[in-house]
Amino acid sequence: MRYKYDNGNLSIKLEEELDMNSCKVLRNIMDGYIMKYQPREVEIDLSKVQFMDSSGIGLLMGRYNLTKLIDANLVITNPSNSIKRILELSNIASKITLKYNEV
Amino acid sequence: MNNFFEIKIKAENENVAVVRVAIATFISNLEITIDDLMDIKTAVSEAVTNSIEHGYYNNINDENTVTIRAYIENNEEDNIKIEIEDSGVGIEDIELATTLAYTSKPELEHAGMGFTIMETFMDEVFIDSKKDEGTIITLIKRIKKRKSGN
Repeated sequence: MRYKYDNGNLSIKLEEELDMNSCKVLRNIMDGYIMKYQPREVEIDLSKVQFMDSSGIGLLMGRYNLTKLIDANLVITNPSNSIKRILELSNIASKITLKYNEV
Repeated sequence: MNNFFEIKIKAENENVAVVRVAIATFISNLEITIDDLMDIKTAVSEAVTNSIEHGYYNNINDENTVTIRAYIENNEEDNIKIEIEDSGVGIEDIELATTLAYTSKPELEHAGMGFTIMETFMDEVFIDSKKDEGTIITLIKRIKKRKSGN
């Protein structure tokens, strides 16, 4: 995981496989940064994530709930096709902003 | 070709990645699309995680194990059958457990999507569970053979 904070935007780039093992650790780290910076927008970049199961949905849902509490936007960028399919199975796809950047 | 393999892991979350790699390697000789391969990896990941999180309540000791058996059967199409077996607490209410977005552990940020993903990504899912004895999840995926020349 890498992160960058710039002018109200907290950008988090996830690089690991998102399963229960990694998500249990990641959620604490991500919440630490979100609470520290209190950003207006949290961007979670999934372009380097090769695998995600429903634990990843739990991770994104949890961060969505936290960003809503501090009145920030959550943007998910560049999920792979298979991750996009998993997002669309849950109702998170209708709540968050999905964005595709030119890579 | 008919083929099978079996692995047994200690019920620990960090071992789920090992199972995913093993399954992906085992079926990679088939003519299989990346989408099908990802579907199978994801469904297996869900089932094994369920065994660890719910079957054993994350109670890590050497007696708590999950056994994964995978079979490839060659007929008109390739059938991949995967069994995930634990000897945990069992699923008391299967209907409830398989309801979309139901989770017994919302405080742990479980999305309640495990069985939905298994049922969506696989062709058949069977749940065989006995209270205090354990659970066997059977996942089946049929891989359509491509016509030669394609």
